[in-house]
Amino acid sequence: METKKIMWMIKKDLLELWRHKPRLIAMLLFPIIAIVFFGYGMGGSLENIPIVIVEQSHGPVTNQTVTAIKNMSLYDVKEVTSDPDQAKEMVESGAVKAAIILPPDYDNLESRQAPTVILYVDSSDQLATQAIVPATQTLFARISGEVGVQKMQIESRTGPITQNESSNALQSIVNAINFEVDKIYGDVKYMDFLIPGILAMTIMFACMGGMGRSIAGERETGELARLFMTPTSIATVVGGKIISKLITETGRALILLIVAIVLFGVTIKGSMLLTFLLLILTALCFVGFGIMISARAETQEDYMQMIMPFQMPMMFVSGVFYPIETMPWFFQKLAYVFPLTYANNALRAVILKGTGITEIWSDLIILLAFTLIFFTLGVIRFNRDI
Amino acid sequence: MKYAIETFNLTKKYGDFTAVDSLNMKIENKTIFGFLGPNGAGKTTTIKMLTCLIPPTSGTAKVAGYDIIKEPNNVRQKIGMVPQLVSLYKDLTVKENVELCADFYGMSPELKEERINELMEMVDIKYAENKLVRHLSGGQQQKVSLVASLIHQPEILFLDEPTIGLDPTTKRVLWDLISELNNEGHTIILCSHDMYEVELLCDHVGIINQGVLAAFDTPQALKDAVIKEKESKVAKILKKIKEEDEKGEIIEREGREISIFIINLTDKIIEEITELPMVMEIKKHHSNRITIKIDEGSENGVNTVIRTILDNNGIIKSISTKDPSLEDVFIKVTSKKVE
Repeated sequence: METKKIMWMIKKDLLELWRHKPRLIAMLLFPIIAIVFFGYGMGGSLENIPIVIVEQSHGPVTNQTVTAIKNMSLYDVKEVTSDPDQAKEMVESGAVKAAIILPPDYDNLESRQAPTVILYVDSSDQLATQAIVPATQTLFARISGEVGVQKMQIESRTGPITQNESSNALQSIVNAINFEVDKIYGDVKYMDFLIPGILAMTIMFACMGGMGRSIAGERETGELARLFMTPTSIATVVGGKIISKLITETGRALILLIVAIVLFGVTIKGSMLLTFLLLILTALCFVGFGIMISARAETQEDYMQMIMPFQMPMMFVSGVFYPIETMPWFFQKLAYVFPLTYANNALRAVILKGTGITEIWSDLIILLAFTLIFFTLGVIRFNRDI
Repeated sequence: MKYAIETFNLTKKYGDFTAVDSLNMKIENKTIFGFLGPNGAGKTTTIKMLTCLIPPTSGTAKVAGYDIIKEPNNVRQKIGMVPQLVSLYKDLTVKENVELCADFYGMSPELKEERINELMEMVDIKYAENKLVRHLSGGQQQKVSLVASLIHQPEILFLDEPTIGLDPTTKRVLWDLISELNNEGHTIILCSHDMYEVELLCDHVGIINQGVLAAFDTPQALKDAVIKEKESKVAKILKKIKEEDEKGEIIEREGREISIFIINLTDKIIEEITELPMVMEIKKHHSNRITIKIDEGSENGVNTVIRTILDNNGIIKSISTKDPSLEDVFIKVTSKKVE
């Protein structure tokens, strides 16, 4: 008797699931999406970090060094230039994560003076910095050793030396190359790196989730139908929803920012106003995304299932936890389809690097374009009644 | 304007399925119209088209003189709707809900205030104006819904199962309100499955079946049609009896039921009645009530039964015959398959 009842409970649940296809598909997709995006988005090793090499001299040591750097999978050498300023600019603009600057006297083996190699690194990307600095240090220690041996051979060929000269020579052999690290944004902790992404991600979840109750929920319970029975346009109702959501999300963004500053000691290097405006634009963009999806969702549950396939990949691929450059090729391309990537980039640039509006304008324009597309599609697709 | 609503081949299709098929009907101004139909017959779809929530696939309609396709905002200004599902904001107070509706209709602040007070007093909900809707009973919520729908003084009020789930007392209060609103000049479109409610309130009734208007008349005329049909059936039966007598065959006859309550019912009375030739069947119920099925062909059958009871010193407390109700009309109309 009891077995039959239990069997019925199981049968009922499975039948319900089978008859609600969006729920079934989402349920099956969820573990796949979760493991794929989590695995590649967070668990991957750091590789192919874009860098630029500055070679200001020509010779075997330079060639050997450039080849050694190019052979390391950690680096993806985007350019080899002779202009240190251009290389620095590339780092500052975010085109590459670091510049390895070989000095003009790098190939001068006869000089007693050790040449100084500078690693100019974008420390706002804390994870990349953490990988690049020790790896580059190790590489140059090895090269320094090899150069030292070559120098010793040259020294021995030039004839006998005094004891004092000998000690200096040994010193220059041991330290054949000096290595300096120039972190352009100082030391950045992982938490500092994480906070801008977390801010953007929290806003994404809050705004998209909130639109479920606001639109799909009210449609389900009939409140929206009552509003649409009055002489009121869809744009007015949707516009009202956007503004009210924006007000609550602005409040939430403020709280988030204060908590980040107070609890985690995050310092905003750029403009506080710009950071705040960016958070609002991010909110607006995801409210639009929510409206676009909820325009056709009949119930709140359907809506929640419909947004899941967007939220999960965005969370892992948009560079919130790990730099995009470390992900597989496909995910790197996919990241640029998601608005969260641009919100993330812009916020990280303003908070960690202190960049102004002129440097993040492309992110801003893309975010604005996404927002406009979402709102337009949302209003066009919106049904007064389903 | 003679008609509040006129439909012209109003049709709604969902893929291959035709929910409403070339509906043509005219609903007179300032009347109460009962819109009936079985579940899935196309009633809700018709109402949604008339209230401009969904566009028709073809055809059109005029509501309060305005075309639902060309002038939807004018239509919306002239109609009010009390949905079956109370669609009020549960976390707003009664007054806030009504004010929101008033502003969506663009009412002036003075008129709004005056109208809110007037309506709240009329439906007797003023005492709860500052209460959250979620704290109200079903009946109270339905009253608020009515106020919200009437706030802009609509000419036409659509009521979708307004009394479903309400207790008998609250139902009566709402029925009185509906009559009062009609007396004030509102045209009421009432969708209901409560035949008593429809019979009590409506001037005209339309029955939709499988997307087609299957009947449209006054409740009495619809019932009369059933009586007439029965009468023609009686004539046919009389003819059959005549044929039976001529041929000496037994043809199955139809009967009509009467229910009699006899205070001092005895076995002898039952026996005597059973022996009457026109009595086809007799059933004894609790509390001395009997149901007798009398041959439709017998013209003085009821008289003979009563005389038999009185002859046996029986005291009749009540007697009732089963006349057709609107429910019979509904079942008859909707049981027909659409060709």
